[in-house]
Amino acid sequence: MNQDVHKLLRLKRYEMPSSDYFERFIDEFHHRQRADLISRPTLHILFERVMNAFPDFHVPRLAYAGVAMAAVALSALILFSQQEESSPAASFALNSPTVTRLPAGQGDIRQPVSMRPDLPPHYVLETRPVSYASPYSF
Amino acid sequence: MADSDQEPEIKDEDLVARTQSGDPRAFDGLVRKYSPRLYGLVYNMTSNHEDTNDLLQDIFSKAYRSIKGFKGKSSFYTWLHTIATNMTINFLKKRSRKYQMSLDDIDNGVQHDPQFIELTSGPDARREVNLKELQQRLNEAMMKLSNEHRAVVTMFDIQGMPHAEIGKILGISEGTVRSRLFYAHRQLQNYLQEFINA
Repeated sequence: MNQDVHKLLRLKRYEMPSSDYFERFIDEFHHRQRADLISRPTLHILFERVMNAFPDFHVPRLAYAGVAMAAVALSALILFSQQEESSPAASFALNSPTVTRLPAGQGDIRQPVSMRPDLPPHYVLETRPVSYASPYSF
Repeated sequence: MADSDQEPEIKDEDLVARTQSGDPRAFDGLVRKYSPRLYGLVYNMTSNHEDTNDLLQDIFSKAYRSIKGFKGKSSFYTWLHTIATNMTINFLKKRSRKYQMSLDDIDNGVQHDPQFIELTSGPDARREVNLKELQQRLNEAMMKLSNEHRAVVTMFDIQGMPHAEIGKILGISEGTVRSRLFYAHRQLQNYLQEFINA
């Protein structure tokens, strides 16, 4: 240790404020404490009081890691399910009409119904509506 | 306070326990006891009276708010000094480089200090040192040190704390305290050459 430097530095302990400074300091401390209490947000005070009421309560460090991992897993699950719903293949499958292949021998379904031999006989009325009511003609 | 004359004799542990159980007047006793010492710590690290005053208020406010979490694993003295040192170093990191020194008056007791007498009353004319000039140079020299080195020098050289206590407060080993002191003294010797060789 450098004794010369040490001795010089020791002189610095004589730099002190006036003697009444420390009495005023306590008054100022009380004043600031009151001002601080008024200006601090209520939530902050509430949180501090809760923490003071349970001084032994500390969230374990690993709990944060566990919560973070669960959050990541949940986010990944949601993203994955959303992607599945919005993928083009899935929308095609859901929105396009179902194509059913007819068994062989059932003929061409594009033929008029009256010409298809595989269907039972049926009658088609004239395109003109049939009615027994008197026509609206005078 | 009515019982202010009795409070300095009460042990720290009792004052802390009373404060923890909701007696704010007990904390006044701790403020009275430790404010001069903490003032010295903060002032010698900042070289500014106004900054010291504000910081000291913040330090005691923080200590008051956190005292319920104080478990007595270290002494209250160490705990409080740790808060003070950390807050002061954080403050210094944020403080603008363009600050101005605002130095306290020097107590008249310095006139009777053997080191000061030795420095000013020798036969050599160079020993006629102006007290204000010496104060200015000492503070300038201190401010050239890094915050961490200044903290160690303040606690060891000015406040007379042992290495082990400084290590506990700063959370470093005694060896680190010694090496920081060695490096800081070497730097200070260069800045204060004219006073040392006088």
